Amino acid sequence: MLIMIPTLFVISALVFGIIKLPPGDFISNRIQELKSQGESGALDKIEFLRQQYGLDRPAIEQYAIWIGVWPKDGQFQGILQGDWGWSMEYNRPVGELVGDRLLLTFIVNFATILFVYVVSFPIGVYSAVRQYSIGDYSFTLLGYLGLATPNFLLALVLLYYSNVHFGLQIGGLFDEQYIDAPWSLAKIQNLMAHLLIPTIVIGTSGTAAMIRRLRANLLDELQKQYVVTGRAKGLPPLRLLIKYPIRMALNPFVAEIGAILRQAVSGSVIVSVVMNLPTSGPMLLAALESQDQYLAGSFLLFLALLTVVGVLISDLLLAVLDPRIRLEGGAQK
Amino acid sequence: MSVWSRLLPFSALTPVAAALICATAALPAWALDYKEPTMLQADVAAGKLPPVAQRLPATPLVEEMDGKTRQVGKSGGDARMLIGRARDVRMISVYGYSRLVGYDEKFELKPDILKSIDVEDDRVFTMHLRPGHKWSDGKPFTSEDFRYWWEDVTNNKDLSPAGPIVDLMIEGELPKVEIIDKETVRYSWSRRNPFFLQRLAGAAPLYIYRPAHYLKQFHAKYADKAALEAKAEEANARSWAELHNRLDTMGHFTNPDMPTLEPWNIATRPPAIRFVAVRNPYFHRVDPKGMQLPYWDRLIVNQADGKLIPAKSAAGEVDVQARNIAFNNFTFLKENEKRSAYRTFLWRTARGSQMALYPNLNANDPVWRELNRDVRFRRALSVAIDRQGINASLYFGLALESNNTVLPDSPLFKEVYQKAWTEFDTKLANKLLDEIGLTKRNPDGVRLLKDGRPLEIIVETSGEDTEQTDVLELIRDNWQKVGIKLFTKPSQREVLKNRIYAGETTMSIWYGLENGIPTAAMSPGELAPLLQDSMQWPKWGQFYETKGQSGEAPDMPAPKELFDLYGEWLNATNDQQRTEIWHKMLKTYTENEFSIGIVSGVPQPVVVGNAVRNVPEEGIYNFDPGAFFGVYRMSSFWFDR
Amino acid sequence: MSDIRRNENIEHWVSRDPFDPYSVEKMSAGQEKYFMASQWQMMWWKFKRHRVAVISLAFLVTIYFVALIAELVAPYNLHSRDPRHIYAPPQAIHLFHDGEFVGPFVYGMRFKLNTQTLKREYQDDTNKIQKLRFFCQGDGYDFWGMIPSNLHLVCPAENGTLYLFGTDRLGRDILSRVIYGTRISLTVGLVGIAISFLIGITLGGISGYYGGWIDNVIQRLIELIKSLPELPLWMALSAALPVTWSPILVYFGITIILGLLDWPGLARAVRSKLLSLREEDFCTAAQLMGASPKRIIGRHLLPSFMSHLIASASLSIPSMILGETALSFLGLGLRPPITSWGVLLNEAQNINVVALYPWLMAPVIPVVLVVLAFNFLGDGLRDAADPYK
Repeated sequence: MLIMIPTLFVISALVFGIIKLPPGDFISNRIQELKSQGESGALDKIEFLRQQYGLDRPAIEQYAIWIGVWPKDGQFQGILQGDWGWSMEYNRPVGELVGDRLLLTFIVNFATILFVYVVSFPIGVYSAVRQYSIGDYSFTLLGYLGLATPNFLLALVLLYYSNVHFGLQIGGLFDEQYIDAPWSLAKIQNLMAHLLIPTIVIGTSGTAAMIRRLRANLLDELQKQYVVTGRAKGLPPLRLLIKYPIRMALNPFVAEIGAILRQAVSGSVIVSVVMNLPTSGPMLLAALESQDQYLAGSFLLFLALLTVVGVLISDLLLAVLDPRIRLEGGAQK
Repeated sequence: MSVWSRLLPFSALTPVAAALICATAALPAWALDYKEPTMLQADVAAGKLPPVAQRLPATPLVEEMDGKTRQVGKSGGDARMLIGRARDVRMISVYGYSRLVGYDEKFELKPDILKSIDVEDDRVFTMHLRPGHKWSDGKPFTSEDFRYWWEDVTNNKDLSPAGPIVDLMIEGELPKVEIIDKETVRYSWSRRNPFFLQRLAGAAPLYIYRPAHYLKQFHAKYADKAALEAKAEEANARSWAELHNRLDTMGHFTNPDMPTLEPWNIATRPPAIRFVAVRNPYFHRVDPKGMQLPYWDRLIVNQADGKLIPAKSAAGEVDVQARNIAFNNFTFLKENEKRSAYRTFLWRTARGSQMALYPNLNANDPVWRELNRDVRFRRALSVAIDRQGINASLYFGLALESNNTVLPDSPLFKEVYQKAWTEFDTKLANKLLDEIGLTKRNPDGVRLLKDGRPLEIIVETSGEDTEQTDVLELIRDNWQKVGIKLFTKPSQREVLKNRIYAGETTMSIWYGLENGIPTAAMSPGELAPLLQDSMQWPKWGQFYETKGQSGEAPDMPAPKELFDLYGEWLNATNDQQRTEIWHKMLKTYTENEFSIGIVSGVPQPVVVGNAVRNVPEEGIYNFDPGAFFGVYRMSSFWFDR
Repeated sequence: MSDIRRNENIEHWVSRDPFDPYSVEKMSAGQEKYFMASQWQMMWWKFKRHRVAVISLAFLVTIYFVALIAELVAPYNLHSRDPRHIYAPPQAIHLFHDGEFVGPFVYGMRFKLNTQTLKREYQDDTNKIQKLRFFCQGDGYDFWGMIPSNLHLVCPAENGTLYLFGTDRLGRDILSRVIYGTRISLTVGLVGIAISFLIGITLGGISGYYGGWIDNVIQRLIELIKSLPELPLWMALSAALPVTWSPILVYFGITIILGLLDWPGLARAVRSKLLSLREEDFCTAAQLMGASPKRIIGRHLLPSFMSHLIASASLSIPSMILGETALSFLGLGLRPPITSWGVLLNEAQNINVVALYPWLMAPVIPVVLVVLAFNFLGDGLRDAADPYK
């Protein structure tokens, strides 16, 4: 578990390096924009901002400052000290910006994961039990269809038609009147109505992997001796199915939390942009495009942290669920 | 950067008209009985706000309404709009268009915030404020706000380390700023400043005043330094100067605490997806019946992804919208009009050309440089383009086939400028190319350059606009017929500009003239090599921008002539001289095809809710001059319901 | 004891026939075939059981073949424009006209511009019958950029049109563009997979075979890459590609990026298989005989799970194809004038298309079909990979 910490360090270095790769930096982007809008008035202030944000220092130093191992103006103010950095675009601390969106991001991702489980479980089980049947083919087809269709197109199409036929607002997670309103039952209902399409769009791409996993695992289990014995003993087939193999097959659900989390976060970025959801995706995208490096870097690091934690949790859960892992000391694939 | 670097369209007033400019009013203001906007009536009755007569300046501006295109309206309503990026919330100040002097819909300058302005010789500008004019928080708006900005902001070493704002310098000379009394401010230079008024009236204007009473609490000269430093640290600012600069957001609308003179002030603290701007109770304009403007109580500005904005507009989620909507959305918008209760107007854009090709006269490659500089080559390229086909394919023939020049709306328009070297004539193009000596061709039919290379032009784009790529597709086919091969190379704006400056590109494509509707009083700077940013002569532009420190001096007669003419324009004393100079420059520019325009006057769809009034059915949609909706006075748009 | 020495003839019977070792285990012809079959044979049989996988295989082979001869199959050139048929809807192929069999043909189109909405309205003109021509001369092209020709499999009638998927905003035939796009989109996956294979097998092999600290380091690296969310990483890497690169270089850059992000999965699979296999007897035997590690991995271990690798690969390719479309959508991948499905879909990604010209979304069909096909193929291969189960 301790290996997590150096891992995160390396991730942070990678992330920062990648963000700094494209030529120019936030300030030079801003200058270009201002020039093309003819706002030369603000240009003189901008160059001097570069010094304020520390963008004139070498990249290594910028990285070290960001992490918190190198002082900026005599003070340590980096991630290790709990300061996630300053966003140049919004002129606010990164922590605030990310925090604002975190709740909604979690809600969307959680709903997606739920959707993935709910859809892939029956399909996976059915297709394992009735391998090579028409049902197997058609259900897996349905499950894979979600994977195959590019998200962004599906999102736009669904948005438009749901607006035309059902009057659903295009994009966003809330209707106009609920955006700044305090939480209430009506607001929650509104949220759920808006969540429908994003969940379907993001979730369908995750179902394929889950179905396949489940199917493979279940198929393995069904070949085993104890199932044959049970059948020979005369156990009713359904009971036989539920009592043992399915519990084994739950294995991937737990093991894949890390991957699903990663998938949900990635998948939701594009869809959030297209559907205008107020989650972390659009903010991250904008930050990467304008090279708002501390926002982008801290965000990515945070997401990586989430994934690592997710993997950790799933490993722990797996150990709890499956005694074989504990005893043998290694996860089975 | 010097005054040479300005590219914005500016207007100087003819001395005759400039002697004394007063606000015109249908009725003398004192004869009006002022009315309270509905939204504020409760607060006034409860004593939270003074009554309207006390909130307005002694002589408010009466907006003209002729009863036909603009009618007197009703106060009330929330207007919804969309923006593509959070940063665009500054559009509120562009649309609101409350300026010291502003353009009206005929693009004439009129005082707006100012009661009047005396202009002497384009050198001395005496500005008269409206007595009793107040900021949106009720505090007085006086010359102190001008003094504060001049002495304590732009000339303060901590707040403006780069020195006073360069826009105010004429050949390096700063203005003399005199605060004559509470309502009078004078700016004077020893030389003419033809740009001053235009900059004040710009969509993104020069703000020469600040809310002193608000900002003083963040200025080390007026506030307790220690307490200020503490505040700065709290807000994660390195110094009081950084804090002050951060909170000083004139026109950007990112600080709800800062008062404004615009019709609406932002009430939402960023970051947000939904921005609300609330009526300014101290706004200085009234309608002819005395009702304080704006009519609309609030602006609800929602942020959405640019690609969704046409869809959301068609779904009826906006009351007035033109931003992020392009001509190719027109059919879609028309089809949804009934369902979502809005109308789609078609305004005209005012660029010199929707897009133009810019042969790089400063290209490094000697063969290409020589070819680009040959006027016959540029003319051949221009006549080889089938503009009518492009117009028909992309714009239903609604655009104007033209050079990159002024539009028919401009008083400087002459048909010869529009049409010179734009007739589609493949034979002529071939003849010109043969004349240059490019007669050899390779087996594919592509002409060969002097050194044997095929005549393959790589046009670099910024990759942002599919319209440009489409046009290049069409031009490619046109040029193939005269033996020229065209390759498109998408890039990124910054990289593209760098490559152009460095002389590494042969040709690029970009938007045409920013201001296609100039009057003689506006700057012809776009036609002369003044800016490094210009894509056809970056090195010459750089030479002047850096006052000779880098770049190259122009070594072609025609650009030199343009530059000299520009100098003459700067020193011209009357409009007749200016008009003559403009025409000379336009003639030289278009005859030489320094930039090859394609089509102009592309229609711009404007979505207007069925209940919205006072939005003209036809108008010009332009940033500067025009401020998009600014010159049509959004403060007088109202809901008829 | 005396019983044993008794030499009396106990009744017993010994056959005089020559000894046939297989007499007990005599197999029928079918059984013989089954038991004597090689591993590949058995995998093929198991694979055939998964009928959809077989269909997918056939489909993929066809479509790769089409990519090979794209210029021939496409009715039009990649760049040919028809300004008179902008945003034309798809045309249907008919066989019968007024009850008579005419052969495959399309109706001509009547065009009207709705001046109110500026909408182009097309209607089938049943008087104009345009018969399709086969093996005909059509638009000129350079086959693979090298051999000029103008032979097409199918062309529209003279002065006629054949827009089976409709046209786009410049009047270009969508079907032809989709076919040309096949070449780029399908090969992106192949090149990316090649890179992924290379890195994955090498690192996974080393990791699994040697174990110990090498294994640890490589494992951490894998975890590292896996824990970064894909999309932002794609974005950041693509944004880092120098914009001055030519489109071909950008294309390879994209495939390299996709491959770089995909190898961990493969390496993991290789490693776990190796870990279990290296304990097997045949491996020990090879070691005892003095084979070098390279030979052991390459000659003995790899072939035994090559099938698994192929199954993995076939499941990675679709994610690369989708990755390419996602990158194009974000404006980071291939851009016009290169034509790939991603580029085409990006052009279709706006509300005008969804509402008014839905046929521009046609490229989504081959994307979906190819991804599905690869998935089913992978499933079938995986099922078949271990035929002894």
